[in-house]
Amino acid sequence: MLELYHSEPNTFYLKPLIALHEKKASFQSRWFDSDKLEQFALGFSGDVEAHLHLEREGPLLLHEGTLISSSFFMLEYIAEALPGESLLPESAHDQYRMRASGQFLGAQLGSLVPILGCIKYLAPRLAAMDRTALDAKLKDVGPQERRLNFTALLDGTYTPQIQATARERLKFPVARVEATLAAGPWLAGPRYTIADIDAFAMLRVVPDLAPDVVNPAVTPRVCEFLDRVAARPAVRAALSTSRSGTPERHFVPGVEPSRWG
Amino acid sequence: MTVHLYHWEPNANSGKPMLALAEKGVEFESHYIDLLKFDQHQPDYLKINPDGTIPAMVHGDRVFTESTPMMEYVDDAFDGPALKPADPKERWRMRWWMRFFDSYFAPSLSMIGWSIFVGPAVRQRPKQELEAAIARIPLESRRIAWRKAMFNEFSEAELTESRRRVHYCTGILEDHLARHEWIAGTRYSLGDMNGFNLGYALPLSQPDHCNDARTPHIMEWLRRIYERPAARQIWSLGRTAMAQRVKFLERPAHA
Repeated sequence: MLELYHSEPNTFYLKPLIALHEKKASFQSRWFDSDKLEQFALGFSGDVEAHLHLEREGPLLLHEGTLISSSFFMLEYIAEALPGESLLPESAHDQYRMRASGQFLGAQLGSLVPILGCIKYLAPRLAAMDRTALDAKLKDVGPQERRLNFTALLDGTYTPQIQATARERLKFPVARVEATLAAGPWLAGPRYTIADIDAFAMLRVVPDLAPDVVNPAVTPRVCEFLDRVAARPAVRAALSTSRSGTPERHFVPGVEPSRWG
Repeated sequence: MTVHLYHWEPNANSGKPMLALAEKGVEFESHYIDLLKFDQHQPDYLKINPDGTIPAMVHGDRVFTESTPMMEYVDDAFDGPALKPADPKERWRMRWWMRFFDSYFAPSLSMIGWSIFVGPAVRQRPKQELEAAIARIPLESRRIAWRKAMFNEFSEAELTESRRRVHYCTGILEDHLARHEWIAGTRYSLGDMNGFNLGYALPLSQPDHCNDARTPHIMEWLRRIYERPAARQIWSLGRTAMAQRVKFLERPAHA
């Protein structure tokens, strides 16, 4: 039995949906509305890894009694444990590149993209909610950083200066991806792998959130890469699971930015 | 093909591939990069890793600069004992905990460590020299980190939060090791090597929170790892008092 707990197919939630469709895996979709904070009522708080949620929010995959969390490692798990099309590079060196990409982009895009997406789309929805009811939903959420990720959207933490800095800092990981794609169409060797799924799921919203950072003039290879991945049937199938019809407008907070500054 | 490893002390990120190579039985040519002398920002090293971070590993014409994926490469590319579990669920758990160590536990622990060890170790030098050293750092994020350490710019609020997280993470790790013999589950793996590099000195740096009475499973786990020949071999390469802290894990003679 394979069950995926997810919200709208965007960013973290999109990754396993693509991988499961690439694998043509049979799974039970357990959809929740992250805009209504329904993820806090899933009842998995006794599982330490799921409770800690290294990305703070994101999908959970329940497979044969084991709860898999953290979207990049979930991709690796799907690639390794399920039959079907291989989503892993062949060589040890390309596997290193895949993992290094996941680690680097996980920290960079995994923090910056959700901040910008949440400010643009989630914050207005939260602001429209009854604050007392919202606080009641959040008050027992742990660890405290997960709770603070939401309250930060409402308390003025994200000043225009911080938003501008986040957009500016996006240029660094995007430039790395653009440079990597100069060597070939995929990020970790000669074939499509979970490194591409991982990057696509976070990058596809950047043209909307930071149009000066990703556009055909500045990052032609990234734009072609996004088109190339978007054309895959499994990606179209994953995006078609959206209930809103606009998954690219649904965000959850993500990885905490570096506390070193 | 000779493996060249550019590393500092057997500690944190540098120690991770060192220990993995030793456990795998892979000989490597050691290139000691003195972090406190900013060797990692010198032109010779930047030719190997333009980001100026350590460690870096060179195998043939391949260069590896991310320490945790580097550990997996060591296991994948060389003959020797398997350092990852065969079961995908245990491999997932190993990776999850390595990320927990790398991205949640380590940044807080290292902020404390840099404030009391790295910063004071370099701060006596002339300000002009330090500013020039910062200017040579390629990555903005590392320039910010070094500036904070050199000029003691960590706020008390930042350090308080780091201490809270270290204590919180120590509790989480103790609970995990109470349920599992090793990080991934039933066998020693890269996850334990990663965790050992992070935590071998916890009993000394956090004596009130990591000790035989409060965290017996962490203490036993650390001692079991330190008893392994590979850990002995690697920590004997340490040149500073920092690496010597590992000797605290020696069991008492009567035990």
